[in-house]
Amino acid sequence: MKLYEFQGKRIFKENNIPVPKGTLIVSPNQPIEVDPPAVLKTQVLVGGRGKAGGIKIWDSSSKLSELLQDMFSQKLKGEPVRAILAEEKVDIVHEFYLSITFKGNSATHVLVASSAGGVEIEKIAQENPGKIITLPIDPFLGPTAYQVRYVAKTLGLKDHRELKKLINSLYAVYSSYDATLVEINPLALTPTGLVALDAKILLDDKSRPRQEKLFSLLVNEQQSLARGDRESEEAKPDTITYVPMSGSVGLISDGAGTGMLTLDLIKDAGEEAANFCELGSITNPEVMYNAMAAVLKNPEVKSLLIVLIGGFNRMDDMAEGILGYREDNNLKIPLVVRMCGTMEEVGKEMMDQAGIPTYDDLLGAVREVVALAKEK
Amino acid sequence: MAVLINQETKVLVQGITGRSGTLQTRVMKEYGTKVVAGVTPGKGKTIVEGIPVYDFVAEAKEHHSIDTVISFVPGPFAKDACFEAVDNGIKFLVLTTEGIPDHDVIEIISYAKSRGTKVLGPGSPGLIAPGKCKLGAHPTRMFIEGRVGVVSKSGALSYEVGKTLTEAGIGQSTVVGIGGGPIWGLTQQEIIGLFQEDQETDIIVLLGEIGGSMEEEAAEFIATNVTKPVVGLIVGRAAPEGKSLGHAGAIIEGSKGTAKAKIEALSIAGVHIAKTLQEMVQIIKGLRGN
Repeated sequence: MKLYEFQGKRIFKENNIPVPKGTLIVSPNQPIEVDPPAVLKTQVLVGGRGKAGGIKIWDSSSKLSELLQDMFSQKLKGEPVRAILAEEKVDIVHEFYLSITFKGNSATHVLVASSAGGVEIEKIAQENPGKIITLPIDPFLGPTAYQVRYVAKTLGLKDHRELKKLINSLYAVYSSYDATLVEINPLALTPTGLVALDAKILLDDKSRPRQEKLFSLLVNEQQSLARGDRESEEAKPDTITYVPMSGSVGLISDGAGTGMLTLDLIKDAGEEAANFCELGSITNPEVMYNAMAAVLKNPEVKSLLIVLIGGFNRMDDMAEGILGYREDNNLKIPLVVRMCGTMEEVGKEMMDQAGIPTYDDLLGAVREVVALAKEK
Repeated sequence: MAVLINQETKVLVQGITGRSGTLQTRVMKEYGTKVVAGVTPGKGKTIVEGIPVYDFVAEAKEHHSIDTVISFVPGPFAKDACFEAVDNGIKFLVLTTEGIPDHDVIEIISYAKSRGTKVLGPGSPGLIAPGKCKLGAHPTRMFIEGRVGVVSKSGALSYEVGKTLTEAGIGQSTVVGIGGGPIWGLTQQEIIGLFQEDQETDIIVLLGEIGGSMEEEAAEFIATNVTKPVVGLIVGRAAPEGKSLGHAGAIIEGSKGTAKAKIEALSIAGVHIAKTLQEMVQIIKGLRGN
């Protein structure tokens, strides 16, 4: 889950990471506690906000109500603006980049720092790769004192005690909130010390059961701001992944890799999939039933391909789900099922008895379903 | 020899009493895998599929010689079960559990690494050395003994490839599923390294997918360390941009992590690229000279 900047900054503030004094504005006429000169920042979840015109300066030459009116009527990369964070302007001596995240291939947390902050880290990596340091952090030790001194030296900070406090607080947020990224960019050096001018926090959705209170607070806040603009972030009862696409062949697979392979094969056969739909780690008859309901909601689907190759997933469960859905609903489009793997004898028998032949060969099933889609 | 497992591997099943644990234990045992014990806290002194169940790994070790653990323990308890396996000197741990929070996964793998335990997973379908040992969910009829080593992120895709190779009469030395990410214990590169050393493997198959940078890192490793022929298949050529496709690691952002970029990196490293499973069969037959 991605947090808004103001949510991230509230978390920073609660954990002793200095942020500028600010007010969240949700309507153009709301009184605010910040005086000019101030920075007005649209609160959106899309990236590249600054370049898209989502940040404006309010000084004595401009009228706040006009600026706000203007900003609230904006759409940033399609996302409507529902809130603006007004912050007092701080004097910036230098801008740094600082974040904590993880590297999946080496299974380590990493602290990333650069003296060239203020632009996207991807851009720093392109233009100044030598100016980025990446330090692995042991999950049982946290950032060590020598690592902090090394970061201070790299950033050119003489006083490493303030940085130590900041890094330790940032790591505390990262670990206690189950974050996958905590990023301060820019981290400003001001005459009064270090200040986080931006806050980007990503939370691990898999930690939701043990972070229920935190998630429900943040999700409720995001939903009330979005006022129905965005799809609900409510927890789904299963692990189905559903991604709409623009073609006509409905697709359900019981593995991500096989699903992606099938997408490619459908394209090679001259059609495009109407969606990607993968059942995920929890599979039972109900999950298959729900997946069919999700895919067949799309009126563009001309034929449906179900690709099953069970390892942990049981074919008797899958047959039960498919047949259950067919019994409850009037299936108007042709269905092609490829079924093999764990408990396949039972699953195929159930399908046979219901009069639905199953394929064993994936390529044959793809050709059939594409031909059926083209007939329609 | 095969990699990581063989006919002598002695296996303990953590979470043996769950629905999946019980079914997979039965299939593994039928295949000939030496499953010697199971552990589920609170279910000690019971028997599942003829296998004695204990409350603790240490208790199982008093009665059995054990070198490998496969874990079916659900998410909230998975970390503790892994610590227990590592503390008991288990050298190879197959972690099938999906949905473990990222911070727990990093603790598990860091702890295991510091004590010399190899972790396959999380979210691993396991691995199979056809004819010798099966540790995980691989459907048995899709694999036959032979000399092609396969490494895959996706379980289902590795069954798909196993099935196609087997139907074409091409056997496998070991088929290893490392899991869909976003965090991995053993990586593609490490498994490829094991295949390079394995005397029973002649050809290596790398099954990759969109997202992340693991295939690119494997390509660099192959270029400098691997002399055996490698055949690569990257799925997700037709995937839309910016969407996660079922595996947390499988997302394209801009030009990063695309199938095209991965195929390019692997081609430069000398990997034979197959676009479909049928092409893979043709390439392998060509490499074997038949």
